[in-house]
Amino acid sequence: MPDRGARLLEVQYANLAHQGETAELGIWAFLINETIFFGALIFTYYFYRLTYPHDFALAARDTVLWCGSVNLAILVTSSLTMVLGINAAAQGERTKMIRWLVATCALGFAFMLVKGYEYYLDFQDQVVPAVNYVAKSGEGPAGELFWVFYWVATGLHAIHLMTGVGLVLYMLLWRIRRGEITPVYYTPLEVVGVYWSFVDVVWLFLFPSIYLVGRS
Amino acid sequence: MTIEVDPRRARPFPFVVAWALLLLLFGVSLWTAFLGLGLWAPVIQFGIAAIQVATVFILFMRLKGPPSLKWLFAVSGFFWLLFLYGLTMTDYSNRKGWPPAVPVSSSQQVHPPGS
Repeated sequence: MPDRGARLLEVQYANLAHQGETAELGIWAFLINETIFFGALIFTYYFYRLTYPHDFALAARDTVLWCGSVNLAILVTSSLTMVLGINAAAQGERTKMIRWLVATCALGFAFMLVKGYEYYLDFQDQVVPAVNYVAKSGEGPAGELFWVFYWVATGLHAIHLMTGVGLVLYMLLWRIRRGEITPVYYTPLEVVGVYWSFVDVVWLFLFPSIYLVGRS
Repeated sequence: MTIEVDPRRARPFPFVVAWALLLLLFGVSLWTAFLGLGLWAPVIQFGIAAIQVATVFILFMRLKGPPSLKWLFAVSGFFWLLFLYGLTMTDYSNRKGWPPAVPVSSSQQVHPPGS
């Protein structure tokens, strides 16, 4: 029977280190696409914000600042728990690894819970374009454009976060349970961690763009 | 069998410090929103976000360390993004009336931007 290391090694690689480095480069190549994807979106937002500063400032004042702030703290903390989980995997501390990863998942769900409540408040505030949008006093049509960006950007981010939660659950319920994450080879977990932190990075840019406009 | 732990994965301390720094910078960013800094506010807030992102990239996403080819991948993403921004802005900055000299509401603007 082949040993565990040999079982994890795919045929096209010389050894596990080679396989791991290729996987790491693979996730970074994927993140180039994601950078351009979210970069173009944020750039479009700033283009229109420069064009219609008055309307954007007025519209952005209705965003729920405390929800965005709590979610930023949740995401940053989840990046820490994720990395501590990977550290535990590297050190061969299985129980600790599972605990940190469960905490990461819980924080991901907490983010979605706060986001869901924020969407509910937004709906109540009548700021959903094409559904119930009502412009505020003194606000021009471009105010609605801000909210289009808000829903598209936060929606896309939420989809990415749910994908991240799914990947962590896959690690917990499949790869770790089958004994495929070991101190010798934990790259799959490392790759999921890189993706998770990238989702955090996107929020770090979205937060000042959406929530801090027109506050003073 | 003794496990040889990657030194970057041996101690939680640098990550906990980075986490505290990220939250501190978040607090500063939030504070600047209420200072009435005008056009400087988004510049400062985006600058703070850039520091936060660099911290996450280098430590949490383990950009620091082998394989060093990761740097090339990460930088190329930003390079293509700058290329995209550069080409787009070359076009728009040469269009008449953009950005508007006086901040206006879209209800007062007769022509759409760039027309």
